[in-house]
Amino acid sequence: MKLSELKEGDRAEVTSVGAEAPVRRRLMDMGLIRGTELEVLRFAPLGDPIEIGYKGLLLTMRLKEAEGITVKKLPVLENQEPAGGTLSRILNFRRG
Amino acid sequence: MAAMKEIRVALTGNPNAGKSSLFNVLTGSHQRVGNFPGVTIEKHEGYIDYKDVRITVVDLPGTYSLTPYSPEEIVTRRYIIDEKPDVVVNVIDGTNLERNLLLTAQLMEMEVELLVALNMIDEVEDKGISIDTDQLEKLLGCHIVPTSARRKQGLDDLLDHIVSISDGHIEVRKNKMTFSPVIEAAAGKISELLGRERELESANHRWMAIKLLESDREVYSRVKQYPVWVKVELALQEAIMECQRLNSTDPEALITEDRYAFVRGAMQECVRQPRASRASVSDYIDMVVLNRVLGLPVFFVVVWAIFQLTFTLGAPLMEGLAFLFSLLARSLGPMLPNALLRSILVDGVIAGVGSVVVYLPNIVLLFIGLSFLEASGYMARAAFVIDKVMHRFGLHGKSFIPMVTGFGCSIPAIMATRTLKSRSDRLATIMTIPFMSCGAKLPVYVLLAGAFFPPAMAANVMFGIYFLGIVVGLWTAWMLKSTVLKSDSEPFVMELPPYRWPTFASVVFQARMKALMYLKKAGTLILLAVMAIWAASNFPHSRDLDARLEREKMRIEASADSPALKSAELLRVNSKAQADQLEYSVAGRIGKIIEPLIRPIGFDWRIGISLVTGVVSKEVVVSTLGTIFSIGRSDSAAGGLTSILRSDPGFSMATALSLMVFVLLYIPCIATLGVMKKEIGSWRPVLLYTGYVLAIAWSASFITYRIALLIR
Repeated sequence: MKLSELKEGDRAEVTSVGAEAPVRRRLMDMGLIRGTELEVLRFAPLGDPIEIGYKGLLLTMRLKEAEGITVKKLPVLENQEPAGGTLSRILNFRRG
Repeated sequence: MAAMKEIRVALTGNPNAGKSSLFNVLTGSHQRVGNFPGVTIEKHEGYIDYKDVRITVVDLPGTYSLTPYSPEEIVTRRYIIDEKPDVVVNVIDGTNLERNLLLTAQLMEMEVELLVALNMIDEVEDKGISIDTDQLEKLLGCHIVPTSARRKQGLDDLLDHIVSISDGHIEVRKNKMTFSPVIEAAAGKISELLGRERELESANHRWMAIKLLESDREVYSRVKQYPVWVKVELALQEAIMECQRLNSTDPEALITEDRYAFVRGAMQECVRQPRASRASVSDYIDMVVLNRVLGLPVFFVVVWAIFQLTFTLGAPLMEGLAFLFSLLARSLGPMLPNALLRSILVDGVIAGVGSVVVYLPNIVLLFIGLSFLEASGYMARAAFVIDKVMHRFGLHGKSFIPMVTGFGCSIPAIMATRTLKSRSDRLATIMTIPFMSCGAKLPVYVLLAGAFFPPAMAANVMFGIYFLGIVVGLWTAWMLKSTVLKSDSEPFVMELPPYRWPTFASVVFQARMKALMYLKKAGTLILLAVMAIWAASNFPHSRDLDARLEREKMRIEASADSPALKSAELLRVNSKAQADQLEYSVAGRIGKIIEPLIRPIGFDWRIGISLVTGVVSKEVVVSTLGTIFSIGRSDSAAGGLTSILRSDPGFSMATALSLMVFVLLYIPCIATLGVMKKEIGSWRPVLLYTGYVLAIAWSASFITYRIALLIR
C-alpha cells in the first residue's frame, strides 16, 4: 500500500521509493530507503502534509509525495503507546 | 616577520549540524559575507591566525547530500572539486550520526583531505550516547575531533588537526567505500574506460563512475563530450540491467542503500545509545504545537507575539532615542550662526537621519524574534502547519520562511527563496515578498498610526496593514501561479529539527549584525538621500520671495501693535515664506507635477515628494516628511514630527491610512528591485511588476481613503 494511505499511529516498512528523480533522491538522502521502518506521527492541522518518524528523525512531506512510497504495514507493537502517551490522548480531541 | 603560512579550510555538513555556529566561534569577527560566483547563495568566509598559520575558513551551505539537484549542493560540490581546499572539515551532529554520516561517506568517495568535527558533543554526553571515536576513525580513515561550538569545546584540538593535516603530519587514509558486487564491477569497468580518455586523466575516475551510476546529470554532461561516452553508456545500460536482475532495484537506489549499510555497520560497531524513551521533550512540544486543533492557533499566536515584541517592547526605547535626537537638535541649533549651515544640520541631517535611527530598537527586536524562531526549530514547524494554505495559493510551505523573513527585509528574503527548487515557485514567492511589510516601512506606520490613532488602536491599525499586505501578496501569488507561472508545484519534503534553545551569544551576534547593517545604511545611503532631498527642497532660491518677506517684516515693525503681537506676526510671515520657498524649489515642482495623480488618494505635493524619495529606501519617506514638514514651522524642534503632522492641514486620519496603505504596496526600494533583477535574471519582469504594484497601491489607497472619509 502507499504511505499516503496509512493512518496516524500506523507502523510500516518501506518496500520501494518511487516519485520523480529529485524527490526520490531527497527522500533517499533523508534515509528513507527499502527496509526503513517508520511510524506515521501525524497529519498537519489541515490534513496535509504528513509527518513520519524513523531512526530518530522527523520528516514531513505532502500526501502527493507520500503516494510515491510503497510500504508494508507492520503490526502495532504490544506495548505501543500512541506517540506521547497520555498527553497525546488528551490533546487528540477528535480521535476521542 | 616571516610571511605567515596560509591554508584554506572548507566547512561542510548537514543543515542544523552547527556548522555556522562553529564558523562563528572559530573566526570571531574576522568575517566577510559575499556570494558564490554566479549564484547568490551567501558565502561566508573568515580567518583565524593560529600558531603562525593564517587559516581561511569557508562556510559552505548546509547539505544532506552531494547530488546536483539543489544550488546549495552544486555550490558545495564545485567548491570542493574546483577550489581544492587544503582541508575539508565535515561537521556532524553527534546526536544524529546515522544521517550525518551519509554525507561523510560521500565526502570519503571524493578522496579529499577530510577531518570530521563531531559536533554537539555536549548534547551527545547529556543523552548518554557513547561513541567509540578510535574505532570510527579506523572505519572512516580520517581523524575525528569532538567539538561543541555552543560550549567552545575542542576548538584548539580541531585547529591543531587542521594544521597537522595541511602540513602532512597527519595522513588522511582515504578509505574506499565498498559497494555491492554489481556496482563494484560496473564502477571498475567504467573508471577503466574513463582512464583511457586523455583529457580526463587528472580526474577522479572512480568517483565519476559512481556518479554516473547514480545518474548524476552534471557528470553525465561532462563525460558526454568525449568519444569514450559511447562505451561508457553501454556499460551503464548493462549495469542497470544487472542491478535489476540481481538486486531488483536501480543502481542509484542500490548505491544509497550501500552507503547506509556502511553507515549502519559503523554505527553498530562504534555507537552505544540508550534505548530512547518513547517521547522526548521535542515530541511533547510537537504534540501541542502541531496538534490538529491547536496547531493553527499556536502558529498565529507565535506570529502575533513577534509583533508584540517588536512594537510594544520597542516603543519606549524608540521614544528614548527620539528624545535624544530632539535634544541634540535643540542644543545644536543656537550654536550655529550661519542660517544655511543650521538648516543643513538641523533640518537636514539630524531630522532626516534621526528619524530613521530611532527605529533601530524595533528592527533589532524583529530580527531577534525571527532568528529565535529559526534557531529554535519552530520555523520548520510553521512551514508544516501552514503548507496547505500556501499550497492553495500556489506557494510552498517553504515559501513561508522567506515570506516571514520579508517582514524584516526583502533582500535577505528574496535570497532565501533559493531553498525553493522549482523556478515558478521561486518567482511567485519573490513577487510576494515585497508585500510582506519590511522593517523599513515600519517607521512610516509607527509615525502615522502613532500620530492619528490613540495608542490602544495604533497596534491594531498596524496589524491591519500587515494583514492587508499578506492578503495582497497571496492574491498576487495565486494570480501568477494560475496564469503565467502555471506549472507543477515543487515537492515538499522537509525535516523537522529537534527543538533547541538558541544560545544567547548567537542571538546577540545576529542582532548586532543587523543593527550595524541598519546603522550603516542610515549613515551612508540614507544620509546621501537626505542631503539630496534637503538640497532639492531648498534650491533654487527665489529672490522675489526674499524681497517680499523683507517688505512684510518692515511693515510689521512699523505698525503700532504690541511687541507680543508683533513677534507672533513675524513668526507667521516667516513660516509662510519658507513654505513658499519649498513650493518654489525643485522638490516642490516635482511634487506639484505629480499632485494631480495623487490628489484622489488624499496626498498633497509634499507627500508626493516623500513618496518619490521613498523609492531610495522606505525609511526615507519618514525622513523626507520630517525635512519638508518641519521647514516653515517654528515648533519643529520642540514637538517632534508627530505633533507637526497632527496639526498640519494637509494631513488627516484618512490621509494617514491611505498613505500607510500606499507605502505598504507601492514600488519596493531600489536595492530590492536590484536583487529581484539578479534573482530573476532580466529587467522586464521587474518593470512589469513595478507597474503592477503601482496600480495595486493606487487602487487600494483610493478605496481606503474614500471609506475613511465616509466613516469620519
